[in-house]
Amino acid sequence: MNSLGLALAIVGAACAALFAGIGSAKGVGLVGEAAAGVVSVDPNKFSKVLILQLLPGTQGLYGLLTAILLLSRIGVIGGNAAALTVSQGIMFLAASLPIAIVGLFSGIAQGRAAAAGVGIVAKKPEHSSKGVIMAAMVETYAILALLISILLIYNISI
Amino acid sequence: MSSTEYASAVAAVKAMESSLLTHSDMEQLINARTVSELKAIAGSKNAEASTLEDVWEMIRSYAPDSRELTILLYKNDFHDLKAGLKAMFSGRDADEYYIYPSNIESGILKKLLSSKEFDSLPAYMAETAAQAYDLLTRTMDGQLSDSLIDSSALAAIQRDSDSFGGAFMQKYAQLTTVCADIKTAYRCALMGKPRQFMEIAVCGSRELDKESLIRAAMGGVESLMAFLESTSYKDAAAILKESPAQFEKWCDDVIMEHAESARMQAFGVEPLAAYYIAKEAELKNLRIITVCQECGADRETVMERMRKLYV
Repeated sequence: MNSLGLALAIVGAACAALFAGIGSAKGVGLVGEAAAGVVSVDPNKFSKVLILQLLPGTQGLYGLLTAILLLSRIGVIGGNAAALTVSQGIMFLAASLPIAIVGLFSGIAQGRAAAAGVGIVAKKPEHSSKGVIMAAMVETYAILALLISILLIYNISI
Repeated sequence: MSSTEYASAVAAVKAMESSLLTHSDMEQLINARTVSELKAIAGSKNAEASTLEDVWEMIRSYAPDSRELTILLYKNDFHDLKAGLKAMFSGRDADEYYIYPSNIESGILKKLLSSKEFDSLPAYMAETAAQAYDLLTRTMDGQLSDSLIDSSALAAIQRDSDSFGGAFMQKYAQLTTVCADIKTAYRCALMGKPRQFMEIAVCGSRELDKESLIRAAMGGVESLMAFLESTSYKDAAAILKESPAQFEKWCDDVIMEHAESARMQAFGVEPLAAYYIAKEAELKNLRIITVCQECGADRETVMERMRKLYV
């Protein structure tokens, strides 16, 4: 039963990295497409669109961070895995869900917002910072989810 | 297809939009004192650097699926059909009458028409080509044949925009049809054309019923105006009553206003279609300015004819 608890916690770490990573990949990919469209017409705008393309990439990093913290907390990274009960395993799995789910959707949503911001860079490059700000607003929710996931991970007693 | 599939194409088009002529550019062109000065200003702004054909090729190369956009070229395709058929009957070469861009390469169209392989033409025009050929063979009435092709073009635009176009293209089809139908009905009313002719020439749409429009036009210009005033196109009736040239401008402007609705969209096929419409209007404005300059028309005359700009 102990190994099931550990397995559930590892599934949680995998979910955090996996779903947040998917969200970022989709978001970065979408902005990349839009950015490539602009750069194909005006290569001088590369640096401005690159900033927008980087924005949806953070969710993947938050997922990775959560996964590493979780694996570290349960001793997997140190090579001394804790013997977790099923309920502890479920708690760790639940702790990873905020960043996993919010990371997935916010990554996609931020990608859409940033791709729309690429349109601002294309037409009015002097207002490109507004596009960055609008896309960055989505980031708030990914940060909140990351915060909750970390708080949960560090407050589950082993 | 998901609208985000067009992210790259829309971004590229938005970058290209920044090179469209603005109101102040147009002012400068209108204020040119000579044709050579006008050409110099247009050249400095790269106004004639790309033809509509170049724009079309560019849009098509960026769009992941350009099927819906091909509807924008139907009017050119049907124009080419008219030119091709007339050239066939008069034994002349239609090359200089073809309009570009089009969905059918002119060489292929010429070959298919000369071999009477109408079925090999695109589905939206195959039947019309056969009918127009038959009509010309029987009557040698070029005007009637042209009217048949024109109304079939409108019907094809409406049918295909309903079948595989989105809301933007459907509205474009509706506006195009209504404008063309009002112009046709007005001319028919002025010239006292018989019902039989109007039944071929008027296309009809959901907004303006074909039968009602024909009945109104049969009663003369006053009756037509009274009918239009009872529809949502009463503004159009007032403008048409004032000046047919102003009505032509109104038609282009309502389509441009519709195109403007896509300007704020970040995804989807609509901004691509809108950009094509914008470029079409820009080139039309340049032609108007050039012709007015060549004729020595005054500034007021030019301003009256200038089409609405996209940017």
